[in-house]
Amino acid sequence: MPVIQFREALRDAMTEEMERDENVFLMGEEVAEYNGAYKVSEGMLEKFGPRRVFDTPISEAGFAGLGVGAACCGLRPIIEFMSWSFTLVCMDQLVNNAANVRYMSGGQFKIPVVFRGGNGIAHQLGATHSHRMEAVYARVPGLIVVSPSTPYDAKGLLKSSIRCDDPVIFLESEKMLADKGEVPAEEYLLPIGTANVEREGDQVTIISYGRPLQRVVRPAVEHLRTDHGIDVELIDVRTLRPLDVDTIADSVRKTNRCVIVDEDWGYCGMGSGILYKIQKRCFDDLDAPIEYVHSDEIPVPFSHPLEEAMIPSVDRIVSAVKEACYR
Amino acid sequence: MSVDITMPQLSDTMTEGTLVKWLKKEGEQVKSGEKIAEVETDKAVMEMECFDAGVVAALVVPEGQKAAVGSLLAVIATGSENPAEVKQKALSRSQPPSAPASTKGTAAPRKPALAAAAAPAPSSPNFASASSGEIHEPDEIGHGATRQRQAAFPPLPHPDNGGRRLRVSPLARRIAARQNIDLSSLSGSGPGGRIVKEDLVNPAARSSPPAVMTPPPLPTAPPAPTAAPAFSAPPVQAGNGEQQVIPLTKMRSAIARSLLASKQNIPHYYETIDVDVEDLVNLRVKLNEMLEPEKIRLSIGDFISKAVASALLRNPAVNATFDGAQITRFGDVHLGMAVSIPDGLIVPVLRNVHLMGLKEIRQRSVDLVDRARAQRLKQDEMTGGTFTVSNLGTYGIREFAAIINPPQVGILAVGAAEKRPVVRGDQIVARTMISLTLSADHRVVDGATAAQFLRTLKTLLEQPGMMLA
Repeated sequence: MPVIQFREALRDAMTEEMERDENVFLMGEEVAEYNGAYKVSEGMLEKFGPRRVFDTPISEAGFAGLGVGAACCGLRPIIEFMSWSFTLVCMDQLVNNAANVRYMSGGQFKIPVVFRGGNGIAHQLGATHSHRMEAVYARVPGLIVVSPSTPYDAKGLLKSSIRCDDPVIFLESEKMLADKGEVPAEEYLLPIGTANVEREGDQVTIISYGRPLQRVVRPAVEHLRTDHGIDVELIDVRTLRPLDVDTIADSVRKTNRCVIVDEDWGYCGMGSGILYKIQKRCFDDLDAPIEYVHSDEIPVPFSHPLEEAMIPSVDRIVSAVKEACYR
Repeated sequence: MSVDITMPQLSDTMTEGTLVKWLKKEGEQVKSGEKIAEVETDKAVMEMECFDAGVVAALVVPEGQKAAVGSLLAVIATGSENPAEVKQKALSRSQPPSAPASTKGTAAPRKPALAAAAAPAPSSPNFASASSGEIHEPDEIGHGATRQRQAAFPPLPHPDNGGRRLRVSPLARRIAARQNIDLSSLSGSGPGGRIVKEDLVNPAARSSPPAVMTPPPLPTAPPAPTAAPAFSAPPVQAGNGEQQVIPLTKMRSAIARSLLASKQNIPHYYETIDVDVEDLVNLRVKLNEMLEPEKIRLSIGDFISKAVASALLRNPAVNATFDGAQITRFGDVHLGMAVSIPDGLIVPVLRNVHLMGLKEIRQRSVDLVDRARAQRLKQDEMTGGTFTVSNLGTYGIREFAAIINPPQVGILAVGAAEKRPVVRGDQIVARTMISLTLSADHRVVDGATAAQFLRTLKTLLEQPGMMLA
């Protein structure tokens, strides 16, 4: 099986879908002439021409709105944000328009648009460029929120997102784009709304997604196995809305313990919402309170050591898991 | 099918409206979107639209009548049903509009006619159809209340001592309910003593096995001997081979839990002192002679209670409680007295014993002990002790070590008063002696402090007159 980078998986997904459906196009800052701020769209302008791959001014509210409008009119736009932090200036387009037009038009308009880009803390970008936007969007009915953690998932989920008739918030990370992984040469889709049991285990369930899963959760799981003899069941939720509560609940019923890891702030963070659903469904199966490992509730520091100290670490995950296991 | 037309809420503040005029008569056809009535709100007269097509089967509210928002105004027969029957049904279920709002049946507002046309609820979640462009969210999302009651588990037992709630993980609670295990008999290994699954499924590892509330197993036949023994041992008094499984009473399990917790959590240590009570015994005989007319007979224990109260006031470090975070010392002595009752133990508290004379101590102790054995103590007569005395002297026990009754920090174990050979000067003489053992919580009371308390106590008992000093 070919081994490719995360950014290549994203590019392949977009390219395949644009070849498959002429209504699909890519729009965003630097996506065309510059071949993408992070080289995700490298070569796509050359391949598809300036009508289907085009640059926008630095105006998120403008081009996000263009995306919603184009989707209303039957096109299937892919809107690239350089960072999800920048969507704070176009939230009206995402929350009020993208999420609600289908509902408010009584189903007359579908909004098949994908908004994608880097989300979260990506090393020394400072407080205003490090926002983790998942909980902000995952709480909005009408939006789909997807967060892949491997090149394989990225391709399969992005293709499904492009084919989805509802607006999809597709969360990547600048720090994952160079990750390499096996991706089949033949076409495949991954279903939206289905979690992936990445590793089976029977002592505790760890739930995570995206960048934290890639950065610290996988190493922590290995550490727990080798150094503490704790057998973790690891679930990558993949889709944050709608959340695959069934898969999570099946796992928690088996292990009776659960630890959620994200890089959000804890209060009203992504994990808090997941936690509510688990305790509601699995209360009588829990042998210990659910643990939630999240970032400290401070602005994200620019300083490298302080940034490291603020976000979940292998150590923090290990101690939370031990707490949940009464170890 | 018939559709109800109800009083619409036409403004934010509207709670009722007046049906000014019906624009359709009974039996008349009505189209969807046609005006059916004029309604006067608190602000204006407005026309009311009908959302369904059909025949006006019943006009329930007459013109000029007021009706609450949501109350039934009319019924439309939308299908092939007989309008007369629909009217009959409508009239039979409608309350007179003038009836008070609190009447059952009108309290719950009916759905407005519009709701009848709403789309059916979404079916089960279907995530797999992304390729068809359809993503459905599960319909369990977002409701404030639990819609369906799950089978309830029995309420958790509340132990009698101190009223602290038993801590049990939800999973352990469910397992216990299913297997009929009495949780109050268990001690939890989780944080704060929480009973967790491990405490139930692996009781062998626990110090106190769970009491399973099932009938005792039938006795099984003893295994047949496989070979003749090499030599015949003297015959042993054979039992009847029966075993008895005794479910814990509430009191027994409370005792088990609280004493285990005390021994596990409190670093006990013990100091024993021998006290010459020869003079005290003589004093007792004299006092009892004088109290004869009042039918009062003081016991050695009464003198000890009196002396303990005096000694505690002089050594306040021992007259204290400790909750793990802070020590509370008491200026009064409320003395717990361990009393054995059938299959149990109870500790009534003699309040303000430092203010009492021997006679009152005697009378009140007897009353408390009698009522303790009859299990007729009030809750406040079993709580609030600052120190406890346990006396096994009447059983001839020479000395023993008692377990502290938390949150107190000490307990005095009193042995029997007995003649013992003791050295006085260089002579061995027979004196009436008693051994007192103090169990103390080393987190709060240090060895020398405890020793000082015992020395005070010894002085008071050996020279009872000092109690007056």
